[in-house]
Amino acid sequence: MTRAFASVELGDDLPEVQPDVSMENVRLFCASARMPFGRFTDHEKARAEGLPGAIVPGIMSQALLSALVHRWSPGCRIENMDTIFRAPVLVDSKPTCRGVVTNTDPESETIELDLTIVNEAGETRVVGTAQVRL
Amino acid sequence: MILDLHNHSIKSDDGRARVENYCQWIRKRELPLDGLVLTEHRQFDTESDYRKLEDTYGLLILKASEVETDYGHVLVFGVNEDLQNAFDFTRVDLPLDLVLREARRCGAVAAPCHPGRINVGLCAHYGERGAVEGVELIETLNGGSRSGEDDRALELAKDHGYRGFGGSDAHIVSHIGRCATRFDDEIASMDDLVQALRGERFEAISWKS
Repeated sequence: MTRAFASVELGDDLPEVQPDVSMENVRLFCASARMPFGRFTDHEKARAEGLPGAIVPGIMSQALLSALVHRWSPGCRIENMDTIFRAPVLVDSKPTCRGVVTNTDPESETIELDLTIVNEAGETRVVGTAQVRL
Repeated sequence: MILDLHNHSIKSDDGRARVENYCQWIRKRELPLDGLVLTEHRQFDTESDYRKLEDTYGLLILKASEVETDYGHVLVFGVNEDLQNAFDFTRVDLPLDLVLREARRCGAVAAPCHPGRINVGLCAHYGERGAVEGVELIETLNGGSRSGEDDRALELAKDHGYRGFGGSDAHIVSHIGRCATRFDDEIASMDDLVQALRGERFEAISWKS
């Protein structure tokens, strides 16, 4: 059920999610997204390209952040999402997706979110913002 | 007095935070900040006037720049017209010694930021090419640092006798207030800040968990 706009406040944290970025799941995503590239699906091939290991595709990171938002408010509409990939999210790592409400607009009944994906060390790998209509 | 000396707004190409939202966030989360400095990438923002926001939120809002040099990124506090004419802020390969020299000549302070960061930090370049004369102040605590980067910065400061300050390097609203600088004296203007950074009555602080 969609969350009521009136129930949302600046500073509200979205429940954290630890997404499945195992090689198996990333390969499934890449197959459906038609992105059969070794840097995403094979650690050795990724290392041959100078990466520390296979990396989660950027559009999969965006999808994980979208899922975070929809888990918090099912049925809401993400008007836009803007992500900056500051460092790779590694396949087979244990990242955490986080979100927090940074603005509420009563006129349009939209909210703004900061979204991040951090790794096990707490380092930010992906930052983003989203505008969401509840 | 505590100021967050390193933040980016939507004026920066990779900044996603409006300044008012930073202010709202600081008050909502009751962050112990008395103000913030906007350090937009490769530019000095001459257009924005934040005085109304300062009054509304009771915060000091100052403007500086983050420029890019052959030794990594550098914050410049106290940018004025003379300094804007001294070199091209949009360049990504400014000679560090030029930035330091011209900042000093124009009454500003230039300080390498996130020195422990790979590629865009001072430490890596020092390792390859040696130290640069004229560096006196560096950002020892940066809110965006990865593991070990602040440690390298603190070690660099210790080895060379540099003074250290802190800043969040926030690009989104919720990242402000992760690191900052505590000053012993009151800061009410950019002139005050420049004066304070030339002295030693401040310390870098961090709230990073």
